Amino acid sequence: MSDLKITKLDKYYGTNHVVKGIDLEIPAGEFTILVGQSGCGKSTLLRTIAGLETADGGSIEIGGERVNDLPPRDRDIAMVFQNYALYPYMKVRDNIAFGLRARRTPKAEIGPKVQRAAKMLAIEHLLDRYPRQLSGGQLQRVAIGRAVVRNARLYLFDEPLSNLDAQLRDEMRGEIKRLHQELGKTMIYVTHDQIEAMTMADRIVLLREGRIEQQGAPLELYERPATKYVAGFLGSPSMNFIPCTLSVAEDYGTVMLPDGVTLSLPPSRVAALAPFRDRSLLLGIRPEHLSRATGEHRRGLAEIEVITDLVQPTGSRTYATFRLGGVEAVAELQSHDVSQPGERLKLFADMNRAVLIDAATERVVGNG
Amino acid sequence: MKRSANLRLALRYLGALVLTVFFLFPIYWLFMISFKTADEIYAFPPVWWPETMQWDNYIVLFRDGDATTVLNSFIVAGASTVLAMFLGTICAYSIARFRTGGDNLANWILSQRMVPPVAVVFPIFLLYVWFGIVDTYLGLILLYTAFNLPYVIWMMRGYILDIPLALEESALVDGCSRWQVIWKVVFPMCRAGLFATAIFTFVFAWNDFIFALVLTRTEITTYTVQVTHYFGGQSNFWSKISAMSVLGTVPVFIVVGFMQRYLVRGISLGAVKG
Amino acid sequence: MSGPTVRSGDRGFRYTLVAPSIFVLLLIGVFPIVYLLMVSFQGLTMTDNDTSFQGLLNFRALLDDTRLWQSLMHTVFFTAIALPAELLLGLAMAQLFIDRMPGRQVFIALLVLPVVVAPIVSGATWSLMFDNRFGPINQILGWITGEEMAVLWTVKPHLVYPAILMAEIWQWTPFMFLLLLAALSGVDKSQLEAASIDGAGWWSTFFRIVLPAIWPVMAVAILIRGLDLFRLFDVVWALTKGGPGTMTETISIFTYVKGFQQFETSYTGAVALLIIVLLTVLLTVLLKRVSIAR
Repeated sequence: MSDLKITKLDKYYGTNHVVKGIDLEIPAGEFTILVGQSGCGKSTLLRTIAGLETADGGSIEIGGERVNDLPPRDRDIAMVFQNYALYPYMKVRDNIAFGLRARRTPKAEIGPKVQRAAKMLAIEHLLDRYPRQLSGGQLQRVAIGRAVVRNARLYLFDEPLSNLDAQLRDEMRGEIKRLHQELGKTMIYVTHDQIEAMTMADRIVLLREGRIEQQGAPLELYERPATKYVAGFLGSPSMNFIPCTLSVAEDYGTVMLPDGVTLSLPPSRVAALAPFRDRSLLLGIRPEHLSRATGEHRRGLAEIEVITDLVQPTGSRTYATFRLGGVEAVAELQSHDVSQPGERLKLFADMNRAVLIDAATERVVGNG
Repeated sequence: MKRSANLRLALRYLGALVLTVFFLFPIYWLFMISFKTADEIYAFPPVWWPETMQWDNYIVLFRDGDATTVLNSFIVAGASTVLAMFLGTICAYSIARFRTGGDNLANWILSQRMVPPVAVVFPIFLLYVWFGIVDTYLGLILLYTAFNLPYVIWMMRGYILDIPLALEESALVDGCSRWQVIWKVVFPMCRAGLFATAIFTFVFAWNDFIFALVLTRTEITTYTVQVTHYFGGQSNFWSKISAMSVLGTVPVFIVVGFMQRYLVRGISLGAVKG
Repeated sequence: MSGPTVRSGDRGFRYTLVAPSIFVLLLIGVFPIVYLLMVSFQGLTMTDNDTSFQGLLNFRALLDDTRLWQSLMHTVFFTAIALPAELLLGLAMAQLFIDRMPGRQVFIALLVLPVVVAPIVSGATWSLMFDNRFGPINQILGWITGEEMAVLWTVKPHLVYPAILMAEIWQWTPFMFLLLLAALSGVDKSQLEAASIDGAGWWSTFFRIVLPAIWPVMAVAILIRGLDLFRLFDVVWALTKGGPGTMTETISIFTYVKGFQQFETSYTGAVALLIIVLLTVLLTVLLKRVSIAR
């Protein structure tokens, strides 16, 4: 059974259509991440699920019950907010117990429940402090504690990590994922950070301008993006997009770039791509699928030659920027593959994993 | 360089001292007269420092029952403050959070604050005669409540807008009703603002003269009206004027002393956060 | 005021919250105006219960009432002197206290005390101060001039205005001071430093940087004080009751006298309406230039 079912949901702010007829079904126990750029409607969608905004059309069902007209407190949800939303005039203990008290949980049960939640989040030693005495990471743990202490059907997270510094964010990502595994509850998590989405989600729902662009398991979206937008959104540095045309003869296909460079396609992909010959296309190839050319020439690898403009070592990898097909492109190489700008490099492009995109519709083509 | 800086500082202290004398001397004079004997009050040249500090002027006020006017002031100012704070704060909440009535309502309420008392006190007096509530606590409490409501609403609206919305949303999700949110989140979150606004509301009612002048007779005379009862041509009862004034002024000095931090925001109708 | 509102569904709730306040405001705020409108077209006085429609009779009488227009002029005169004086003096004081100095907070706390004294008490206090024989002011003047002074401050026509203005300025300069001090401490220090590096003098820095920065607060302060001065009553009442004769009668005192001492019900109604209309016009003009808080 699904814990959340959304049908044709619409939401307007004034004349601004923010959520445009979204259909979404989330199975019980799944960790779903709503991701997209700011303004894509992800937060609005979450807030509408919570009942903090009223739906202007469509329906929301939680646990099989239509909740459109229910106030937030009757929706059996718990929520973690971006700015923690802790009550500064209450101790951590009372902050965590707040929801239990508001729901008239018997006094005898509150203490142990708070204790258990605190233990789960390793904040037992902070229970008698006030929020102003805590660090950002600790505040976020308390905010999460306040949600998990309640045995809700649905847990909502609204960009909970965006106020933390990078290191804490890494740590909390793991923490929240572990929490999900322990509790086995249905969680919906909103973020604009594609790394959070990739690392934590059972399923990513990628939103764009109020619509679902694509949804599925993280690696599924990463490896088989349906559109240019998805392909470009996931992955860092993002995918390179190079204008190209396709020519097909028999079972032999080549991609031709504006500067005359040609790359041959693996024969296995040619049949599916054949209908798109002579169309204006984009070749999408991720930086990590461009590698230093070595002696052996495996199937599906196309060799190109470039001159580096910019070299950016990160330690584990080195990013090389160069011009290819008239646009700027990036390759993610081994640390010592390249040392300085102006260097002439031979690269292999992994054409098994490259995607071709129809430049007019921006949809990925020939992907089965 | 160092010397000119020192000179500057010395001059600034001199200026500060002169100003302090100017602004405090009248208050000193008022207080001091209340401790003088009749001979000292009507002495020429004036006595600048009373020989014997004595409380007779106050004792007279308490003996004659005049001092109960301070109690009257306290009752009407106190009750109207409680009422105005409660009604005004919930109204402010609705205006701040739901934008009830839009800008028009907010501006209309603010404009109510600007109406000159003398223009409305006259019909109100007639209305009160009709209802038979002239010279009653109820009448004056109701009036001060209404008179202070715009101030409370305007000020509390500002304080409520300072509360992060997420705190209220979190409470809603966690199981609070709308009323519980106000009670458990909004009130505690703007405790300081509530307190400061209440103090000013109280002081406005406490210091009012014209409404009390028109709407009281003998039963619930407030201290400001009582002070004017001692005015009388050439034979002012100076001892009583000063002692009565001091009785009414000391409480205000004390409460405002605690409110220094909120003074600026309070008297500027929230325009300056201070 | 950006950001989403809390769920807008609870229509009943939001109106329940405003209803009691609106009711009280309508009762005490709007009823009187409706009533004024009604009586001002009738012929009511204490002795005459004439509720017949008199048309614009009372309003025509307004035009010919020199005492009324004089009282209005008095009010304007008080405002024209007191408001700039309070503003300038308050600004000078704020400049004096803007920089740190030991004991600054104590000075400020003491200087603001006049603001919270009841205006009627402040009037009474100054009547004690100005007493011709037993008051300290004549005494001090005597020390300065070297001869005995017995100036009748609250009686002599040419001295009552200075006396009333003195009390008024004494009480409200600290109000200006406090607001302007807050405004001045909000001026961006780096702008001042940049100006001094650019070689700007004190005056040009003040007019180009400081004044524009504190103007919003200054405007609010002027607005609040201007409206207060428009309804000036207590201080004058305590010092002169509008006398000698009607020399210091303000519009508020005039209205009070008409309504509660001479009981010209309908005529007072017309005067009160006139005040409200004048104020509304004034306010509409002023509020276009000033915004109070968000």
